[in-house]
Amino acid sequence: MHPHLNHAFKRLKKSLFTLSAAVEENLHLAVKAVLEGEPGLVDQIRARDLEIDLMEVDFEEECLKVLALHQPVAIDLRFMVAVLKINNDLERIGDLAVSIAEHAPHLTGKDPVDTARKLPRMAEKAQSMLRKSLDAIVGMDADLAREVLATDDEVDADYYETSQELKALMRKDSSQVDELLGMMLVCKHVERIADLATNIAEDAIYMADGEIVRHGRYHASGER
Amino acid sequence: MHRKSLLWHIFLPFLAVIVLSLVLITGYTSRSLRDFFYQQSSSDLTTRAHLMTDEMVPLLLRDDEAAIQRTCEVRGKASDTRVTVVAPDGRVIGDTREDPAGMDNHGDRPEVREALAGRVGSSERYSATLGHRRIYVAVPVRHDGSIIAALRTSHSLTSIERALAVVQQRIALGGLLLAFGAAVISFVLARRISVPLRQMKEGAERFAAGQLGTRLSMAPDSEEIGALAETFNGMAEQLQDRIRTIENQRNEQEAVLASMVESVLAIDRDEVVIGINRAATELLGIEPAMAEGRTLQEVVRNPDLIALGKGVLGGGGPVEGEIVLRRDGERHLQVHATGLQGLEGQRLGALLVLNDVTRIRRLESLRRDFVANVSHELRTPITSIKGFVETLQNDPPADPDVARRFLTIVNRQADRLQAIIDDLLSLSRLEQEGGSAELAREATPVRPLLQDAVDISTARATDDVPTVRLECVDDLEVMVNAPLLEQALVNLLDNALKYSGTATEIVVAAHAEPDLIVVSVRDDGRGIAPTHLPRIFERFYRVDKARSRNMGGTGLGLAIVKHIAQAHGGEASVSSTLGEGTTFTITLPRRPDVDRAMDA
Repeated sequence: MHPHLNHAFKRLKKSLFTLSAAVEENLHLAVKAVLEGEPGLVDQIRARDLEIDLMEVDFEEECLKVLALHQPVAIDLRFMVAVLKINNDLERIGDLAVSIAEHAPHLTGKDPVDTARKLPRMAEKAQSMLRKSLDAIVGMDADLAREVLATDDEVDADYYETSQELKALMRKDSSQVDELLGMMLVCKHVERIADLATNIAEDAIYMADGEIVRHGRYHASGER
Repeated sequence: MHRKSLLWHIFLPFLAVIVLSLVLITGYTSRSLRDFFYQQSSSDLTTRAHLMTDEMVPLLLRDDEAAIQRTCEVRGKASDTRVTVVAPDGRVIGDTREDPAGMDNHGDRPEVREALAGRVGSSERYSATLGHRRIYVAVPVRHDGSIIAALRTSHSLTSIERALAVVQQRIALGGLLLAFGAAVISFVLARRISVPLRQMKEGAERFAAGQLGTRLSMAPDSEEIGALAETFNGMAEQLQDRIRTIENQRNEQEAVLASMVESVLAIDRDEVVIGINRAATELLGIEPAMAEGRTLQEVVRNPDLIALGKGVLGGGGPVEGEIVLRRDGERHLQVHATGLQGLEGQRLGALLVLNDVTRIRRLESLRRDFVANVSHELRTPITSIKGFVETLQNDPPADPDVARRFLTIVNRQADRLQAIIDDLLSLSRLEQEGGSAELAREATPVRPLLQDAVDISTARATDDVPTVRLECVDDLEVMVNAPLLEQALVNLLDNALKYSGTATEIVVAAHAEPDLIVVSVRDDGRGIAPTHLPRIFERFYRVDKARSRNMGGTGLGLAIVKHIAQAHGGEASVSSTLGEGTTFTITLPRRPDVDRAMDA
């Protein structure tokens, strides 16, 4: 690899992981805001999300510069494509974290967590998926990334179960519809975050192995 | 550059000297031999010529050319010499080999010219007539002082040359033998020098490969090489010493760094991790092998820590900050970041020292919460009391029933205040007694104690009570302060009765384990969310703030349970699943003396 390109990649990686650190932090805080009912966190999360948005734009411009200047090929091009997509996914996760946090004030004091018993576990899984997929990029570890793909199915199942429970509760007692709906949305966001973490893991596999595992090709290849 | 072996360096000069001297000697010898042969031949030829002059004189005077020719042939053939007689005018009169008539004028031949001039002439040249090199000697034939002819004798040089060639061949053969001998000698010589040198080279290569423990074997027969080997060995020893010293120092430094409680992380100017100690890898939950050579962003992925590192690298003095790490629960870390400086004062990177202050922060927040909670808990009943008393004072209700109701409320709030203060006092007493030494203990049968606690709490409960079941063997005894343990159990049972909501059954159980007595209160109620569990034993911590206060709790019950357990040297713990129920457990250590009492 050309030394200039190498240097540029190092810088890109640094920026990407600075962005990911902010996103991870925001996700943690958002989950905390909902589960522990700390209303003061929302403003903090919003402020950091602004930084995240700026970082995302900067990163994309940086990527375009590198593409135009060095015109990378083969594995380098793969890297560029992957980080561009990861950048996007991270920004989306950041937005979802804000959405989760914004529901927090309406849920506190009403024991909402009890109504969605699986939420803490789902949130924890989603966070660990995000962490693992980022770890997979750091270590270029396709096996770790595949673990993430497996976990996504669990989160989907949890979400389905929780949504069924919440629907049942809504039918039974319409006075709590607002809170229950909020809860439902929070669960949906967490499930979305898990999906995006899965995307990142797929990009990590693509980066490490050059294999595209999206759209169930992973399942079809029978590697599980 | 291609390097030749030492053998060639010695052998080639040897060979050159031998060949050169051989060539010189051969040249000189053959030259001398040749000269010697020529001299011999020419003097021989001169003698033969002189011998024949006398015979020729009468024939010449008679001018009998046929006789001269015959004599030439006869004498010449007899002595294997060519004899030629040349008249003063150069005409050939007689010749051993040829017919004189067919021969050209010989007056221009150098030897003949000399002879006709009266001297003995000799010459050596290629004979066109005979086709080979010959040596010629001519003498004058005199009669009465005048020269009447020249008599020339000649002899072929072929035999001499052949003899010379043989000699030269022998010398060459000898030279070849000598060269071979020289090769053998130089080979042996070169080996004697090169073998120890090669050994030394191999030794030096071993040193270079780090096997400094090996030594060179000495080469005793050469002082220079022996001295060189000694020097090598000395050098290896010194190197080994130095490397050992450096290794020791490095190991010491690493040991110091590794055994530090503080987590240390060093990054270079590009934010790449260049050093990390064990405490840091454990604190940050990373693989040590993964960390080094990667950037801080990849390894830590905490925005605040990254910002701190950047701040120090961007210049400026040491930075201090506090970050929250959210991997597997929250951890508060105090971070000191300072610049790393090289020997010349240049900035090499940054050093981050991380201190886990989670405990301190939690204690601080506990204390803060405690003060806030105490004030709040005390103020609520007082506000209520004050309100009703002021109403009674300023605007006494006409209806005595209303006044009595007010007073009842005031009384109830005063009771509540008292309950809180009693609880606080017992807590503080427990804290002071803390160390179990001062605690008055006696061997207490467990089952009656449990039964008492159940009776007290069920008597207090007003609503329909879930069934309370006792699971305990009759003869279990434990060394405790009975009133305290009873209070703890009553608190746990009260909680189960008040807050378990949907509970249908409460099980109070006690059993003995090898070192412990385990007492537990289990309900099958609504359960407690996992987020509350770590803090549930804190003073004034309430899972559901509104409800528990309405039920008349002080918020101190579980804190007292924990302190009672701790005062006995044991522990209180909780496990719960939402929707399935909660289990509070008190484990008490079993004293040796208790065991003896039980055996007796």
